[in-house]
Amino acid sequence: MLPKGGEVKPEGQQTPYEAARYRIMSTSSTSPAPRPDMEGWTYFAHRAEEAGIDSLLISFSRYEPDPLLVSCALGLATTKLKFIAAYRSGLAQPTTFVQQVNTAAALIGGRISINIVAGSSSEEQHGYGDFLLHDERYARAEEFLTVCHSFWSDEAEVNFAGDYYRVEQGKLATPFLAPDRKSPEIYISGHSEKSERLAYAQGSCWLRVIDTPEKLEPLVARARSWGIAVCLRLAIMCRPTRAEAFNEVRALLPADKGESTIALKDDSQMYSEKVTGDSFWLNENLWTGLVPHYGPVWTTLLGTPEELAAAFLRYKAIGVSEFIISGWPEVDEVVRFGREVVPLVRQAERLEAKTA
Amino acid sequence: MKTPQETSRVLTTKTNSPASLPDISGWTEFARCAEDAGIESVLLSFSRYEPDTMFVACAVGRATTKLKFIVAYRLGLMQPATFVQQVNTLSGLIQGRVALNIVAGSSTLEQRGYGDFLEHDERYARADEFLEICHSFWQRNGDVNFEGKYWRVERGKLLTPFLAPDRTAPEIYVSGHSEQAKALALARGSCYLRLIDTPQKLAPTVKYFRDRNIEVCLRLCVICRPSLAEAIEAAKHLLPDEEISRQERSILSGSDSHTLKQALAAADEVGWLDRNLWAGLVPHYGSSAITLLGSPQELADIFLEYKRIGVTQFIIAGWPKLEEMMIFGKEVLPLVRAAERQAK
Repeated sequence: MLPKGGEVKPEGQQTPYEAARYRIMSTSSTSPAPRPDMEGWTYFAHRAEEAGIDSLLISFSRYEPDPLLVSCALGLATTKLKFIAAYRSGLAQPTTFVQQVNTAAALIGGRISINIVAGSSSEEQHGYGDFLLHDERYARAEEFLTVCHSFWSDEAEVNFAGDYYRVEQGKLATPFLAPDRKSPEIYISGHSEKSERLAYAQGSCWLRVIDTPEKLEPLVARARSWGIAVCLRLAIMCRPTRAEAFNEVRALLPADKGESTIALKDDSQMYSEKVTGDSFWLNENLWTGLVPHYGPVWTTLLGTPEELAAAFLRYKAIGVSEFIISGWPEVDEVVRFGREVVPLVRQAERLEAKTA
Repeated sequence: MKTPQETSRVLTTKTNSPASLPDISGWTEFARCAEDAGIESVLLSFSRYEPDTMFVACAVGRATTKLKFIVAYRLGLMQPATFVQQVNTLSGLIQGRVALNIVAGSSTLEQRGYGDFLEHDERYARADEFLEICHSFWQRNGDVNFEGKYWRVERGKLLTPFLAPDRTAPEIYVSGHSEQAKALALARGSCYLRLIDTPQKLAPTVKYFRDRNIEVCLRLCVICRPSLAEAIEAAKHLLPDEEISRQERSILSGSDSHTLKQALAAADEVGWLDRNLWAGLVPHYGSSAITLLGSPQELADIFLEYKRIGVTQFIIAGWPKLEEMMIFGKEVLPLVRAAERQAK
């Protein structure tokens, strides 16, 4: 996950607590989050490349710069890293969107994927001029992606007449250029049935928040049987002992229990799924205590490097192929993950390959 | 050096044309030469045959330090809030070196491929609403609320501001020769952009806009040679063969642009607008190909004449662009600046 503007401090340490405070304040008018931060982002991107990270997600909201342009600028400053630009379908004509994505791809060696979000807050959507309701937004997203895929296929001209879009003799000369693909990977995120169905129909990967392997196993199997990949979003806290990891993550709870970054996401199933039960533990290493304050993507996998490596391998065993990971602060956690967890995972994979 | 045929607009519309692919090294070289030549801004044109202008400005802007980019954009292809978010992001990435050239759309056929089915006049009405919303976001004066015929925004808010050393909103160039285009420039623009014509013909229009605090920018091509005769000789060499001409004509006739209709009429009826201004290339290279020809001293005098009637900016093209720009920077611009210093 790409940090927000001003979140990375290339000079000087930032404690996990300071990083969490930054996050709580990131939607206030005094936060640096809305300003492009090429210095901090480039520093982070290079650390991510060194850590063996394949792609970075760049989030979309009215509190942040446009993720497609950020992908373009950051892609020009890097050589390997890919960018998953989050985008709300429905805010631009599909033809315009494809022209922008194709241009960005051609500028940065095809290192761009798209995370389509149908919209998580009706208030925020209204501010963008979008007044459809949750379910209709999915129907429109389906049409949007159908038109996009027509442009990406080899059809000479695109013609489409639907409920939400109409295109006549559509033609774009700039193709999607990548070494290995003719269209970008499409990540569809969401927990509603609509989002799952949209992922099957138009996506290459279904993106959702982590849960226990047991709960996810049938969902992952179903997605895989339909030919799409599954990617999980989570936060990690890796420390020499599980107790240290838990103490660190518990210290991130805001002193003011009412503080939250998520109050506005009234129209998202992912955000309305309440954390239930007496404890916030989904299993020994999966803790949801931060979710009420920071949002569901801060469901945290915590523990020692060995515990985390074992957990990632367990998800791999049930068919999960990608993870989008956050941490506090993002840059420290990605460096630690690359140094301590990734080698254990790769070693176990090699061992498994040998015995297989 | 490219042949005239290679720079023809017909070829940029072919599927195998390199015009569809970003050319970062070529563009960066051009941009740096433009900076050296004393050029302030470059216009990036928008069409379905080319890469997206906003992203090209981002890439070339990251590779340069002084040059500004006038990004042509068709309004109506995205929500105004989304557009403002992109423009503001771009400004933050390239130190505010972005201006907008608003085009309401020049071909109904092309617009339909973008999902836009409005006709010429309605496109202007929509553009007017669009820019009103954009200006509300740029004013940063609380939430944006708007309810119009084409757009509706409720409690709109964007935290990323337009970031530039000297401005809180981009300059807006509105181009077009129709009455609607002029009205839009007056209401929402900072500069009216139109094709060059003779100073005598333009003087009243320029005065009209300047009296209302809107700048005027002219689009033209230049061919500068040691003498007018040599410049005319070079221009004649640019006339393409008959087949290309025929195809050009058929592309141009599909347009519903008033600008183009007027430029074509000038080419067909008179050819030479005055001693140095020739419309003969318009049927082959499009409406912006009205060409000013002459020696460096003649061209410098002519630019100063336009300045006297109130024109403040020029968007200049040539064949090839790079070589003509180098000639302009070396031969013409120093004469203009010397005359300006002397006048002070």
